[in-house]
Amino acid sequence: MRLVRQYLQAILDARRIIIYTFLLSFFLFITMPFLMIFLKSVGKGWFGKLWLPPELTLDWYRWAVSIAHVPEVTKNTLIIAAMAVTMSTLIGIPTGWALGRRGIPGKELLMAMLLLPRMIPPISYALGIARIFYRLHLIDTHFGVALAHVAVCAPYAILVLSAAFEGLDERVLEAASVCGANAIRRFFHVILPLAMPGILSSMIFTFTTSYNEFTLTLMTYGPDTITLPVRTYLAVGEGYWEVTAAMSVILVIPSIIVLFLLQRQVAPEKLVGGFKGV
Amino acid sequence: MRDFLKQRRQNLITLLMLAPGLAGFFGLFFYPMLVTVALSLRPEGQSSGWTIENYVNFLNDPHGRDVILLTFTIAISATALSILFSIPLALILREKFRGHRFFRLLMIIPRVVPGLIGALGLMLLFGSRGWFNLFLIRFVPFIKGPIRVVHTLHGLIIFYLWLYFPFTCLTSLSALEALDPAVEEAAMVAGANRWQVLRHIVLPLIMPGVLAGSVLTFMACFGAFSVPLLTGGNYRPLSVTIYKQIEVFIPARWSTASAIAVIMAALQVAFLSLYMRILRRPMA
Repeated sequence: MRLVRQYLQAILDARRIIIYTFLLSFFLFITMPFLMIFLKSVGKGWFGKLWLPPELTLDWYRWAVSIAHVPEVTKNTLIIAAMAVTMSTLIGIPTGWALGRRGIPGKELLMAMLLLPRMIPPISYALGIARIFYRLHLIDTHFGVALAHVAVCAPYAILVLSAAFEGLDERVLEAASVCGANAIRRFFHVILPLAMPGILSSMIFTFTTSYNEFTLTLMTYGPDTITLPVRTYLAVGEGYWEVTAAMSVILVIPSIIVLFLLQRQVAPEKLVGGFKGV
Repeated sequence: MRDFLKQRRQNLITLLMLAPGLAGFFGLFFYPMLVTVALSLRPEGQSSGWTIENYVNFLNDPHGRDVILLTFTIAISATALSILFSIPLALILREKFRGHRFFRLLMIIPRVVPGLIGALGLMLLFGSRGWFNLFLIRFVPFIKGPIRVVHTLHGLIIFYLWLYFPFTCLTSLSALEALDPAVEEAAMVAGANRWQVLRHIVLPLIMPGVLAGSVLTFMACFGAFSVPLLTGGNYRPLSVTIYKQIEVFIPARWSTASAIAVIMAALQVAFLSLYMRILRRPMA
């Protein structure tokens, strides 16, 4: 306790200097790895005790395209992510609606149950998924890998969407039915537009989850369904650090776009929110 | 009677709406988990017969116990560090100084980019030829050679911290922002200095939020797979040990892998319930 006390007291004492140092080291800690990857990907002959690569080159990007088949791998990744997002959203909309707006006895318990896949380490059910998919011949198909991703994406979609639907104003829906809109019309013309921000953020989150997913992909992928994270991992194993770095730069660009979308569209805090009741 | 039928119809609709979610849960989580459990109870390489040999072997093996200990050591240290790191950061970011949005964005970067890339960048940065070591050799006296960080225990803890601290930090920040400023003002008016306000008012009030966030960090650290696989070297936590059973051995040792996976899931659940119980207890 005394140690904690001194630690906090020290922070309060030399406020300004400490704050700036802290923020600077935080900034460096977070960004430096990316700078290193970028330098590695454009550097040539960067060995020994050199701060910067002696020569610049784009060869590693060319290698990434020609040897590591990055375009094809990117296509795989995007197809799989799109399928996973579609399936998770289709699961999330009805289930989220039921959880958010229809009084269900034991709702909390049901929600906790549906979130279990995010609490249990994925590797433990990935083993089972791999065995089942082998039997069903789903290994090495885009659909199979996407289906495996749904295991971790769907809980996210359900969570975000149930919160979004719960926040809808009851009076608007009543007004729509008073004006004579039937259930289908109500859904497409009132509920869907109103819930759009929630649906979009759910899609962004599921997309990020699927795009970054590694464990489940590693257990279900095959030569035709290599995704970018798996390809990066394989390239590290092959020892081509520069090519791996180039691929990582390519891989990180969509993530940065998502980051900006996140900042514009939804509060980034939501990325971890909702789990408070875990 | 009509009401009863209507009620039933409503219940049926609710059930139908829940159906996709439940199908996903049972088909993609519950059933695979059952398959894993069943697999772990089979003799290695056979598809019939029951045995608990796989569990006994792993738990009796000193190496197996080391692996469990290692997983807990890394996860708990990284979680503790994330709390120590997040509280000051959240306190700083709470004040809306110029550029605070940028730092908030920075905070979620590790959660948005693929973990593998973070691990790769950290390996390059902390490697023997990375800037971290170049900096130490150049500017810090007494350090002559590079310090080993990659493929070591403390290295893994640092990498985990980088990847998973946002959970703790974001929840701490939202707990701080949910705090009623009137409470702090009241304490100030009552004559408390900054330190006293922080120690006796702010920290106790945000602690539940911080600890709830740290649970998420712990969960992520405990289950982490890509990072230790890439950067762990000879330090293999449970997840990597499981994968190695399948990847390294020919034929793959599915039953052993499944047994370790079941042990891992059980440990995770047990530790989480313990943690939650401690959290629920009112703070002194």
